[in-house]
Amino acid sequence: MYNFEGFTLDWYRELFQDTRLLIIVLNTLVIALLSALISTIIGVLGALSIYQVKKRRAKNTILSLNNVLIVSPDVIIGASFLILFTMAGIKLGFYSVLLSHIAFSIPIVVLMVLPKLMEMSPTLIDAARDLGASRWNVLTKVILPFITPGIFAGFFMALTYSLDDFAVTFFVTGNGFSTLSVEIYSLARRGISLNINALSTLLFLFTILLVVIYYFITQRNKAQVGGIRK
Amino acid sequence: MNKLIRVFAAVVIASLLLLFAINRLNSAVGFSSDNTLTIYNWGDYIDDDLIDRFEEETGMKVIYETFDSNEAMLTKIQQGGTTYDIAVPSEYMIAKMLEEDLLLPLDHSKLPNLKNIDERFIDLPFDPGNKFSVPYFWGTVGIVFNREMLGDMEITSWNDLWDPAFENEILLIDGAREIIGMGLNSLGYSLNDTNVDHLEKAKAKLDTLTPNIKAIVGDEIKMLIANEEAAIGLVWSGDAADMMWENENLDYVVPSEGSNLWFDNMVIPKTAKNIEGAHQFINFMLDAEVAAQNTEWVSYSTPNKEALQYMPEDMVEDERFYPSPELTEKLEVYENLGKKNLALYNDLFLQFKMHRK
Repeated sequence: MYNFEGFTLDWYRELFQDTRLLIIVLNTLVIALLSALISTIIGVLGALSIYQVKKRRAKNTILSLNNVLIVSPDVIIGASFLILFTMAGIKLGFYSVLLSHIAFSIPIVVLMVLPKLMEMSPTLIDAARDLGASRWNVLTKVILPFITPGIFAGFFMALTYSLDDFAVTFFVTGNGFSTLSVEIYSLARRGISLNINALSTLLFLFTILLVVIYYFITQRNKAQVGGIRK
Repeated sequence: MNKLIRVFAAVVIASLLLLFAINRLNSAVGFSSDNTLTIYNWGDYIDDDLIDRFEEETGMKVIYETFDSNEAMLTKIQQGGTTYDIAVPSEYMIAKMLEEDLLLPLDHSKLPNLKNIDERFIDLPFDPGNKFSVPYFWGTVGIVFNREMLGDMEITSWNDLWDPAFENEILLIDGAREIIGMGLNSLGYSLNDTNVDHLEKAKAKLDTLTPNIKAIVGDEIKMLIANEEAAIGLVWSGDAADMMWENENLDYVVPSEGSNLWFDNMVIPKTAKNIEGAHQFINFMLDAEVAAQNTEWVSYSTPNKEALQYMPEDMVEDERFYPSPELTEKLEVYENLGKKNLALYNDLFLQFKMHRK
């Protein structure tokens, strides 16, 4: 765009006619949801295992290893994944992007869940065992409900990390598979068409809507707190 | 626990629905069928209608991917994870790809339209006998300038840029060979000069240009010049055509000392699966009428001699984009100078960029 000429909705129409772009948007969402889900599951299991480690030294070592992916630059992670996938013979595309997103989301989930576990009084578990709960019951009825806020926080962190990741994704996309950030980057070099602006507007409204819904849900839940947790 | 399971189930269902939607969309446009052709081209470098027409004529589905630099393209093809059937590298990159054995030879019997290409652009040093590549577009490096902003001052040569009147008015593209090449050309040396003395002199001469330089920028130069942020720019001819379309006050000139002549070429990389389809596509693009339509859309210069008759006359006779034979004589194609010399070019360019006013 060079000069403002007037208002129009043309770009929205063009946006919805551009199937390739729509596919890319959906790809981005699927990758974000699936990678957040899987990394949350693995991350919670990881946090639980780290919590079980009693030796201080071993625990610190594992935690440091966990932080490797967080502190190393995205470009390095992306390049390493590219080399790894090439060597392992994994075709670049949906699965390579999904795997790499899961990999860099897990440490974030672990870091979100672990403090919640630490916060929990160990006497809770002892009390549950005393009252005849099996190990499975302890996990599902005591530990998981207690760390649920941490799990959700981890899930949403993983979701946003995956949604806006560019550097890692840039390396591992291929075979016609692309995510929004990578696509916009390649468009930027040749002058961005205004339908990207239209798309950004829609995504922004969509996120605002999610935030509003989330706000009302938490408000409703707050009203319920104070009762006995099932 | 129940809450967790409910939320996670919702996420799984949402992803499945999305996957289903992607699948439907993909099959609606036909990307999932076997009969596909993957093209890897520069952004904005083909008339989309032609892709539609090719799909209609052959029944193949075209997957069109874009890259923004020769180097990015090389990496993706080297890496081999993607099955590109056609790629469009510039000429210096072809030499490199041949060295690394990344290209498949072309079957000329499947390319009858090859005869449409102007003899000037056939059998060039980077690919003797066009065994591996067919020229797609060509162009020059030159100066774009704003008539309104410069008043009656004329620019016809590289050396005109050193005029003190142009203080802080020049934008340069961020390319080592282009900029060092400008220095070499302005001194009358070859663009492929590897003589260290000559290169040092060119760099010293470029340093004296710094008061006139406003910035060294990437592709945004198109927008900056069209928005009249600066009066003069060193650009590729195709970009110049884009800018002139945006802003009527702009004009383009190929400097009289000579300049670079570049080609983008269609090749079939080693990663190709649909080799038959790739040949069909190259032949399709070589068709005179198709090339004419594509050239009008892209506005770079076409090497297709037969296409010229289908194009508007003012476009063909425009000497800025189809330079006269005398000037063409002075244009040089970049040669692959080898790693050591390229490093020297890059070092000098870096020093030049760091030079202070």
